[in-house]
Amino acid sequence: MTVGGTDAQAAAPLTGQVPEDQLLVRARAVTKRFGGLVAVNSVDFDIPRGSIVSLIGPNGAGKTTFFNMITGAYAPTSGDISFDGRAIVTTKGSRVRSLKPHQVTALGIGRTFQNIRLFGTMSALDNVLVGQHAHLRCRWWDAVLRTPRNNAEEAASAARAHELLEFVGLGQRPHAWARNLPYGDQRRLEIARALATSPKLLLLDEPTAGMNASETRDLTEFIRRLRSELGLAVLLIEHDMRVVMGISDRVTVLDHGEVLAEGSPAEVRANPRVIEAYLGRGAAGEA
Amino acid sequence: MNTLTTPVQVGHTGGLRAWLRQMASAARGWPATYRMALERRRGRTVLLTLLIVLLVAYPVLYQTVLAPVVRILPLPSATVMVFMLIFAIMAIGLNIVIGFAGLLDLGYVAFYALGAYTTAFLTSPHWGGVSVVLFASVPEGSPGIHLPFMLVVILAAGVAATFGVLLGAPTLRLRGDYLAIVTLGFGEIVPIFFKNLVNVTFSFGPIQLVNANLTGGPLGINPIDPPSFFGFKFGVISGFNAVYLGLILIIVAIVIARNLERSRMGRAWMAVREDEIAAEMMGVNTVRTKLLAFGLGAAFAGIAGAYQASYQGATTSDFFQFSTSILVVVMIILGGIGNIWGVIAGAVVVQYVDKTLLPWAGQRLTDIGNVTGNPALGDINPSTFSFLLFGIALVAMMRFRPEGFVPSRQRAAEMHTAPPGQALGSIGLIEKEGLVPQLDPTEPGGEADPGSAEMSVEGPAGETKAEHRVDVTDEEMPR
Amino acid sequence: MDEQVLQTVIIGLSNGLIYALVALGYTLVYGILQLINFAHGEVFMLGSMIALTLLMALGVTPGMDIVTTIVLIVVVLLITMTISAILNVSIERVAYRPLRNAPKLAPLISAIGMSFILQNVGLLWKGPTSLGFLDIIPNTNVLTTIFGLDTVVAVSYKQLFVAAVTIPLLIVLSWFVSKTRQGKAMRATAQDPDTAGLMGIDVNRTIAITFVIAGALAGAAGLVQILYNNTTVWSLGFRFGLNAFTSAVLGGIGNLQGAVLGGIVLGLINAFSDRYLAAQWTNAIVFGVLIAVLVFRPSGLLGQQAADRA
Repeated sequence: MTVGGTDAQAAAPLTGQVPEDQLLVRARAVTKRFGGLVAVNSVDFDIPRGSIVSLIGPNGAGKTTFFNMITGAYAPTSGDISFDGRAIVTTKGSRVRSLKPHQVTALGIGRTFQNIRLFGTMSALDNVLVGQHAHLRCRWWDAVLRTPRNNAEEAASAARAHELLEFVGLGQRPHAWARNLPYGDQRRLEIARALATSPKLLLLDEPTAGMNASETRDLTEFIRRLRSELGLAVLLIEHDMRVVMGISDRVTVLDHGEVLAEGSPAEVRANPRVIEAYLGRGAAGEA
Repeated sequence: MNTLTTPVQVGHTGGLRAWLRQMASAARGWPATYRMALERRRGRTVLLTLLIVLLVAYPVLYQTVLAPVVRILPLPSATVMVFMLIFAIMAIGLNIVIGFAGLLDLGYVAFYALGAYTTAFLTSPHWGGVSVVLFASVPEGSPGIHLPFMLVVILAAGVAATFGVLLGAPTLRLRGDYLAIVTLGFGEIVPIFFKNLVNVTFSFGPIQLVNANLTGGPLGINPIDPPSFFGFKFGVISGFNAVYLGLILIIVAIVIARNLERSRMGRAWMAVREDEIAAEMMGVNTVRTKLLAFGLGAAFAGIAGAYQASYQGATTSDFFQFSTSILVVVMIILGGIGNIWGVIAGAVVVQYVDKTLLPWAGQRLTDIGNVTGNPALGDINPSTFSFLLFGIALVAMMRFRPEGFVPSRQRAAEMHTAPPGQALGSIGLIEKEGLVPQLDPTEPGGEADPGSAEMSVEGPAGETKAEHRVDVTDEEMPR
Repeated sequence: MDEQVLQTVIIGLSNGLIYALVALGYTLVYGILQLINFAHGEVFMLGSMIALTLLMALGVTPGMDIVTTIVLIVVVLLITMTISAILNVSIERVAYRPLRNAPKLAPLISAIGMSFILQNVGLLWKGPTSLGFLDIIPNTNVLTTIFGLDTVVAVSYKQLFVAAVTIPLLIVLSWFVSKTRQGKAMRATAQDPDTAGLMGIDVNRTIAITFVIAGALAGAAGLVQILYNNTTVWSLGFRFGLNAFTSAVLGGIGNLQGAVLGGIVLGLINAFSDRYLAAQWTNAIVFGVLIAVLVFRPSGLLGQQAADRA
């Protein structure tokens, strides 16, 4: 693998340097305290449309907490987050208003989980159909009466679900229970389910955890396809530096809840503070 | 740019007229559909057909061919069949709440009572001060409110569902076992209200009540109009007409529950049951989803209550006990939680054992006692032991066969599609189905990676796990 | 204070102490297993039947001399506590331990099943009708006969007896849990069974001991019930159990002091509702309190030791 020299890294737009209309996520002064612990401290963060952005940092740096605030799972202690021009979190004085996760999902943010959280005893197909839930319009009485609208929507959503399974390479066993799929397939099913939410931004929380080298390579390639074929922006939390450095347009390093550094993979690798705080001895020697 | 991730859009596909057209074509296509079912799933279709024929023919047989033997054989009488149907309707409804959505409701009897009392209020001479008679089986001008049964069933379902939503709205965010207790308390309170709201003196603005008898008190409301359908009376006690009415109601109940199960809502319920947080993250409004399950589940009990009240022609609060709630839980556990056919089978079997088999056994003991000159045998009343049996059944089922005797279809399907060794080697269904909606990720092992348990692929590195404990994704859901 | 109010408080306190004994059993088991032990009320009911049987077998009658009466009551208390403890630990072994790793619903349903089984044991043993027992301990007013006070407020010997049994038991329990090795093991297991296991605590043994204690307390409450309220019946456990469980929730389930406080508060609510409202509404009020606490303050009056695990 070549170091820092992949196609997408000609320009690495930094937070605050991207014109508003090209921004998908705009987070300003986001802070989260758990009791006395400041997990995320006044972080500014932008995600441009169609970009692959990575968030890295040592354990406990606040990556997942930040992630959870974008998805609405945690309400920040203060700060503002908007997505595609619409507010997810707004702070007015001491009042913080945050959308609920299902509302955020409906806006167009899909996610996967660090430790897979599929609906185990539902079929792969049903898992993907649940992902479409927020965009389906039929109500319970439509289902009870099997109205033409319900039937049309069910057929269309099932067709879309099959397409998505096909896209992630799981077209073979749509009716298998999610929990009975091999590990790698479960990861891909999670992505298919996230894609079913019709996202503009996909949040991947350590997608290669537990994968071997060849699976990781496949997944890295797959993430590229998500952007090139579907036009998605991707926010990645990842420990595997090969993956991060290989596909990111921009890397943001968090440490102790604050942004330590931001830039192209090459810049971040070369940043002495990052080497000291995060990458450690081995990486410092390599750089 | 691919269209793969743009939402599915279905425009208006016509309103009522399109629906009627669709229903008409489904009705016309019925013989073809049946032929197809016969080809594809021969055994099942034949069995179902025989069952329906038997159910329709049984009342006639009972009164004719079987008449000489009904005293000797433990055959269910009309009353027992009606109660089988009442409880089967409730089991279908509670299965939506417990089986589909994973919410433990121990006060289901409250909604049954609400359905029964709604019916009593609207089809009886109870409100003697007024006279409202509408398509009913009583003469014009009779005192009290007398609405047609078919309308009352719908109203009873609506009242029960409304109370379900009112109870659910503040309580559904509680953890599973707390929800169980809250519903239990509600199930106890409702009959107390029905029992005590007699001699009510109350004044609030224009509402003035002096010693008003609102609910009939401990005596209940008696009589209640028998169910009628545009003049046709179903409720001739001891006859089997009421059984046919029940069959119509249960078919409606089955169709509704099946349609819900295989819909966007049904999938959302199961997703919430499996992993509430993940469901929320995938765009499911979990609060509304759970509320819907609770309300719709309650509606079924309302229907059952309406049927019961009008069949019995009377209702009293003592009929609605905690044990009734538990009885329905026993039915769905025995039958197979999550599976509509299973829970119906559970209801039928439990009612049969309770109301036919045990009394029959008591009769036979008395007979044997008389014949052998041992009358003490007649003093043993096996009916007293029914709840002992059900208690043992609950404990034993949890230990040895938590998936029930007729397990959910999901499991059966999986047995066929999974590679050998995987599905069969896995653990009991109850665990698989994750009946408990609230997860406890702080409990080690409680929230294990589904892959690592069975697949033995290398799990997430220790390092990431360590971080997970600091920065957990799901330690708590705010709000 | 109004004498009537004072009298109601005294009645409420004595009933509340009995609730507290049973509520402790719910709270101990919930604290360690996060299980609502539905069968616990039934252990109390069977305890009262065991006590009744023993009292009759030993020929305890009113008017025996004081020393013999006290000795016999202590003997009955110890035997009842022992049998109830054995019963409770057997329930755990049969109905809950095999489901230790099953989802939470499974032991809950198993507990409901167990509760029905035990009710029927009571029904088969003592029949369907209510059983009464004579006043072994005099109902006379201590305040007027001993202290010579001129008052209509009554504190009977029976009520003193309730306090004399329950308060020492509560003190012993509190000492046991906070000071002994086994008590520490219990608290550790309640916090985190897996870690406790890694630290060398025998988790199964600790849980069994918790059930022993809970059962013994229920047995003691059973005896107090027979000697104070003079009655028992197979269906007693369900209602009483729900009251006791409500007490535990009211005080903050998992919290021992909370259970005692909750028991007393619930005893008072019961007494005041019976006296000033109407007895037929008391159950509705109790359940109303239960629902309100769970909805508005699920951690109870004193918060909850196990709250963080929820």
